[in-house]
Amino acid sequence: MTQQVLFYIFAALITLCSIGVITVRNPVTAAMYLVSDLFLLAGIYAMMQAHFVAAIQILVYAGAIVVLFIFVIMLLNLGPEARQRLKIPAPELAVLVITTIAFIGVAIMMTNGQPTVPVGALTPKAVQAAGGNTYVVGMVLFTKYLWPFELSSMLILLATIASVVIAKKDKAKAVKSTRKEQTLTSPAASSDCVEAAAPASLSNGKVVHGTR
Amino acid sequence: MGLDGQGLATDAATVQVIATIIKFVIIFILCMQVPPLMVWVERRAPALMQRRKGPNRVGIGKWRLYGLMQSLADAIKLIFKEEVVPEGANRAFYHIAPIFAVFPAFLIACAIPYGHTMQLFGYTIPLSIVDIDVGFLFIFAFSSLAVYGVTLAGWASNSKYSLLGALRASAQMISYEIPLGLSLIPIVLIFGTLDLNQIVVAQSAWIWKWGVIKAPISFLIFLICMFAETNRAPFDLAEGESELVAGFHTEFNSAKFAAFFLAEYVSMFILSLLAATIFFGGWQIPFVPYHALLVVTGGLTWLASLIGFVVLILKACFFMFLYVWVRWTLPRFRYDQLMSLGWKFMLPLGLANVFITAVVVAAIQFG
Amino acid sequence: MVPVDNYLVLATVMFLCGTLGVLFRRNLIMVLMAIELMLNAVNLVFVAGSQALGNLDGQVMVFFIITVAACEAAVGLAMVIALFRRYGTIDTSFLRMLRG
Repeated sequence: MTQQVLFYIFAALITLCSIGVITVRNPVTAAMYLVSDLFLLAGIYAMMQAHFVAAIQILVYAGAIVVLFIFVIMLLNLGPEARQRLKIPAPELAVLVITTIAFIGVAIMMTNGQPTVPVGALTPKAVQAAGGNTYVVGMVLFTKYLWPFELSSMLILLATIASVVIAKKDKAKAVKSTRKEQTLTSPAASSDCVEAAAPASLSNGKVVHGTR
Repeated sequence: MGLDGQGLATDAATVQVIATIIKFVIIFILCMQVPPLMVWVERRAPALMQRRKGPNRVGIGKWRLYGLMQSLADAIKLIFKEEVVPEGANRAFYHIAPIFAVFPAFLIACAIPYGHTMQLFGYTIPLSIVDIDVGFLFIFAFSSLAVYGVTLAGWASNSKYSLLGALRASAQMISYEIPLGLSLIPIVLIFGTLDLNQIVVAQSAWIWKWGVIKAPISFLIFLICMFAETNRAPFDLAEGESELVAGFHTEFNSAKFAAFFLAEYVSMFILSLLAATIFFGGWQIPFVPYHALLVVTGGLTWLASLIGFVVLILKACFFMFLYVWVRWTLPRFRYDQLMSLGWKFMLPLGLANVFITAVVVAAIQFG
Repeated sequence: MVPVDNYLVLATVMFLCGTLGVLFRRNLIMVLMAIELMLNAVNLVFVAGSQALGNLDGQVMVFFIITVAACEAAVGLAMVIALFRRYGTIDTSFLRMLRG
């Protein structure tokens, strides 16, 4: 009963925050709505006894990915989007709406009669007896899914190298831009100071070149 | 919901909820007392270290109390200052940013065990506000939210000092979060659980079983990252007075500045509590096991838990003094030195630590 | 326990919001945020499925999806920075070099 009420509260808030993410014009505000979405989702996961996933959601998604978004928005100094006439062509909109309603209908029909109590091995008592949610997830992760786990570590390494390489400044342009930035003007004004904005200048005005 | 003879609710869930609320209020009040005291320590201790006297003039009537009244005067001044919102500042985030700075610290305070589980009126009451089995992950998760307060504060202020300070401070905080987490993984490996309650119980009263002896490198990394996470010396370039005016909280005055101030000192206190819990045995009294303590207190679990609580606070106070001591002793890092220390030294050291600990634990367990 | 179809409906609504965001926002970073929204909707479906089927595979999948989302966000934002440096704008209506 309390779970149902809690779920409806969470669902209403998530819907509002999702609509907020796609409608607000200021990117940082949209990022904050995304953070609240992620928090509410973590609350739903915790309600479903998936504590590990809830903690990872806040730790990685809300605590790292969205921070990355906000960093980039700040570095690029993005202002609010211009208000625009939203021209949604009628056929596309109709297809979208019909598909959504159909999917919801199919989902409800297919899951009618699904259990309303946890089945089999996943009752909270069984999980607690086995050592807690993290323990059982860890057991599955390191036995059945060991190969994808190791592959995902390679993926993270790849992504790190790729993002460093893609966002690196050209060497020739870097020399020009450090000469331009002997005095600190507006840190976010020039689009070239993505790297120099972070270490910027020491107290005597000299610019420290960022890459070491 | 049943009622006993005196009309008190005996439903266990209700009692737990009431106990949680009472615990939270007590911890909240405790944490709110920390900033005024720390402000006083921050001025008196270095004064005495530097052979001068700190503030000792402010007093109420004849009560000068060695300068404690200065904190009260500071608090009153901060509350009554005029609040000036900078032109062009993003109003919504300008008002929200201090909240983002303050609440993660109090959330982390919820997961720390303050004493042994006690029996009161027939109910088993655990002495952490939230008794979850993923304590560690909870703490990592909410300490990574502290970055938002800094970033939003700097961005919303529409000032170049604030923006620069915010970028530097948040880059520093996220760089040192990784070694912080990595340094705690060997602890999880050694003690075999994510639950802070069980970790404190496993570190019994014997000092050679404490986290600092079992994982000394972890303690070292954690200590250094503790300083970096709270933007305290020697890692306080982002708010260094001579560099960036006041960094990300330049444009905040009066109550909002007090909020950032509060957030910094409460984060320091919470991280000190965490260091004491994980590495120094938490509420365990050295060489006095819990059953001996129970004998001494005559079987009153609440008294034993209270003594454990006081011991934990004393250990945290040592770390707070360490914070102040290091601040007034070491010069501050330059920003690029700071970043290369975090990424090129702390991170590989943390990884090597995890690897070696894993090998040793596996060897002991299966060898 | 809440019946599974409640979670599916919520996930569909989130996914729909994400899709609309990807299709109709002109700022590239907003598009990336809408993609994150879609990924979160899928996460919700997986965890709900894990609860309904009594299996932990759903939660492990969520772990991997979050990992992949992190990598994709990092690389995507690096590309946004490179694009901004090259073209001075990240408005999708101006970035049409690959159009025929």
